Amino acid sequence: MYAESTYSPVGRPSLPARVPVAAALIWCSAFLASAAPWFGQLDVGALIAAFWTFEANDYASVLAHYSWAPRVAIAVLIGCGLGLAGAVTQQILGNPLASPTTLGVEAGGQFGVTVATMFFPGLLAFSPDLVAVSGGLLAIGLVIALTWRLGFSPVTVILAGLVVTFFLGAVNMAFLLLKGEWLGNLFIWGAGSLVQNNWQPFMELWPRVLVLGVLMILLMRPLQVMQLGQTSARSLGAKVGLIRVLALFLVVLMSATVVSRVGVVAFIGLAAPVLARLLGARTLPERLIWSSLLGAGLLLLADTLAHWASTWGDGSLVPTGTTTALIGGPIILLALQGLKNTHHMPGQDDSPAGFLPKRRSTLVIGGAIAALLLSTIGISMGWSPGLDEWSWTPIAQWHEAWVWRGPRLLAAILAGVALGLAGTLIQRMTGNPMASPEMLGISGGAAVVMVLIVLFGADIGRAGQLGAATLGAAAALGLLIMLARKHRFAGNQLLLGGLALYVFMDAGLRLVMASGGTVASQLLNWMYGSTWLVSEAEALGLLALIVLISAGLLVIIRPLSILPLGETSASSLGLPVTKVRLLLLLLAALLTAAATVVIGPLSFVGLIAPHLARVLGQQTVGRQLVVAALAGGLLLGVADYLSRTVVYPNQLPAGLLAALVGGLYFLWGLSRHGRA
Amino acid sequence: MFTRSERFWRYSAALLLSLVPIFASAASWQHEQGTLTLEKTPERVIALNWAATEALLLLGVTPIGVADRDGYNVWVKEPELPEGVANIGTRVAPSLEAIAELKPDLIVTSSEMAPAANLLERIAPTYVVSVYKQGSRPFEKASGMLTTLGDMLNREKRAEAVLNDIDQTLQAQRRRLENAGLTDRPVALMNFLDDRHVRVYAPNGLFQSALNALGLENAWPHSGNYWGFSVVGLEALAPYRDSRIVVISPTLPGLSDTLANSPFWTYLPPVQRDQVYQIDPVWPFGGVFPVKRLATLLADGLLAGGSDNVR
Repeated sequence: MYAESTYSPVGRPSLPARVPVAAALIWCSAFLASAAPWFGQLDVGALIAAFWTFEANDYASVLAHYSWAPRVAIAVLIGCGLGLAGAVTQQILGNPLASPTTLGVEAGGQFGVTVATMFFPGLLAFSPDLVAVSGGLLAIGLVIALTWRLGFSPVTVILAGLVVTFFLGAVNMAFLLLKGEWLGNLFIWGAGSLVQNNWQPFMELWPRVLVLGVLMILLMRPLQVMQLGQTSARSLGAKVGLIRVLALFLVVLMSATVVSRVGVVAFIGLAAPVLARLLGARTLPERLIWSSLLGAGLLLLADTLAHWASTWGDGSLVPTGTTTALIGGPIILLALQGLKNTHHMPGQDDSPAGFLPKRRSTLVIGGAIAALLLSTIGISMGWSPGLDEWSWTPIAQWHEAWVWRGPRLLAAILAGVALGLAGTLIQRMTGNPMASPEMLGISGGAAVVMVLIVLFGADIGRAGQLGAATLGAAAALGLLIMLARKHRFAGNQLLLGGLALYVFMDAGLRLVMASGGTVASQLLNWMYGSTWLVSEAEALGLLALIVLISAGLLVIIRPLSILPLGETSASSLGLPVTKVRLLLLLLAALLTAAATVVIGPLSFVGLIAPHLARVLGQQTVGRQLVVAALAGGLLLGVADYLSRTVVYPNQLPAGLLAALVGGLYFLWGLSRHGRA
Repeated sequence: MFTRSERFWRYSAALLLSLVPIFASAASWQHEQGTLTLEKTPERVIALNWAATEALLLLGVTPIGVADRDGYNVWVKEPELPEGVANIGTRVAPSLEAIAELKPDLIVTSSEMAPAANLLERIAPTYVVSVYKQGSRPFEKASGMLTTLGDMLNREKRAEAVLNDIDQTLQAQRRRLENAGLTDRPVALMNFLDDRHVRVYAPNGLFQSALNALGLENAWPHSGNYWGFSVVGLEALAPYRDSRIVVISPTLPGLSDTLANSPFWTYLPPVQRDQVYQIDPVWPFGGVFPVKRLATLLADGLLAGGSDNVR
């Protein structure tokens, strides 16, 4: 289990005063800021009275009672709920990066709303909770089903949760891209808006939040026992698995219920417990209480900022999801500073034993994948749909078809190779199976720049896109190096830093999502990898780059196998640990940037390919690198072919399909090895 | 080298050829991303967005392929797209292979496709014109597109007639409104996205041209995104108490009940004055045609009188 002592200052018996002070400060400033625009129109008494009454003949008073007051109330209520849910989640999973998002609840909820909007709009009007909660339950159900046999070990739950998130997220995106006009409201839902014009949502919500909150607090005692560690808890007679399932179920109900009303305001559930811990809340009751209170304050503050930004700008809605992400980012950075330099990775212990399958020959496995890759190339070049029917292009005509099919296929395969390599490097370097280029934030950095370009409606050519994305990736890398140097590039900090960057990207993305359908579709298309734009020259350039880097990788295989032994042993073996880490970081970042401009930041191949290599029995670094690269290439090669052909003449972004295909395979592998 | 008679024929041919440009010249047009040269009048045209599709149809030219054909029939509807037009993929990512297969001799696209410009040029001459773009004025841009396309496709008269017709419709509707004294209050044009958020059409959008021509003031004062709208919370409309609310269909089922139960809505001054008007769908991101349609719908709607809720 994740050890409590790594987080808190030692030897402080009581709660430090700064916790209540900070909470009070956040609450007061948020409330005052929220009320400030009304001071000119209503006096203080009338403003407070707006929470229960109004003057029918004064429209300012009607507005305060039916728009401002319910918005404040719902922000506080939801913030409380999410803060509490976040704290409970972190306790259940024993992981400081856990949040309802990690369990796939939000992606599941959004999936439910998407399906309902498209196929059962009446149901959505009848009860938005119902569809979101069932979507959330579907997601968590998948996670539980997948991890049941592995006894819900924290790292497996998080992995399964992440993959389910990716998978459902990818399905959502496919709907949005193909049916964007039909789903206008979903763009807002995905961005999180607390706008109210009625007390009804609040009145419906508060009893649910209250009941769920009380149930969670009743689970506090068994949860506390779990804090002692799984073995001791078991010996005390607590049914660890059952309690976890129950608590997870409550977390899902809470987040989905809360979120179904206002959309995805994700980072409150992560930021509030982190902040509470940072400020010094140590015991479980303390953390639960202060996470809730801080969550409420934070959400109110975020919502007020969003409201201000809306009214000060050109009046168009700034979604609350944007500002919660902007607040969430710095708090994760704060957490990064506050963490003691520890080699204890989230999820590092409880290493999933079922995850080490039998060793297999690299030649056989690699050969098999390479053969698959070759046949993919053959089929992709030859067998394709036309406007009338599918037909086989004779090899003699391949040079004509090359213009439309070749460069994009080559670029996709190369991007897959790059991500497979980068993913393996990063997972080896951090010793964390959750790590991937996506998590490092390099892709996020490139994406932030693209989001900004779309936001300002600038049109730049393909070269401009490439340049801008590389610039963003380089900036993210620079920031990462700056942050990580302080901690000598220890894995934990890198992951957190990357996560913070991702959060900022997320903020921009939400803003674009809320601002309009077509712009958003265009952006989503890029985000999930539009290989269709790749020209021949770009593909060949990428080929040269990847070959060069692969040659460089030969040099560093030894350090990579030593590093995970721990810093001390690595140093004693004569390894300049810091320098090696920096080099690895640079290589991984370069690979990621090259892949990102082609396939977008969200393909998840960097997460999946190294896992595939391990599942296929490749344990040593060199073998894992080779097989992961081949697997990544195969994954994206197949994805590119399918993206071009399955909905012809429409196309799906290849990265999206990779997330679908890879996600399915990964889930299958996870459950299969659980059984073995 | 040449015999005398051969030379004669060559000279005659050269003389004749020099006369040809009068009938079919290799004419050039400047556009947003370079110059477009056409050897002869294009017959196989592909449109990669719906504004261009609309312009072609208005000119009486049936494109051989359009992007998101089925979506056009649901969202734009008018002018009607004939049967048998090929679908060449989504508007954000059309299939280059499908475009190539159709062997077009002109492609009409916008600068949103800028990254693909080189690839498109390899297939056919590409006319890049962006009705929707940062800082552009959609109606003027769309009129320009229509005129230029008329020029390219040898339909100058038709283009002129279409623009004249729109102009006359706008004037006629304006007179109807003025005669009824309905041009006094500003109007807020909007779509409901759900029961809390609306898309309000801004002064920099296409619909503003219809409002201007009808002599109506737009209640919403701020510029929107380059598509000409802003997504706002319903409460953002509260400050504009003098305005009339024009809701463009469709609305989600159950919306009218939700609004009727919300005192915020029922106390909204336009609602209290029964000045909520709901009109039939009109595509807000098209070319010149939606301006005509909106003007007619708007005049009909305002003349028919308002109510206190959406339908």
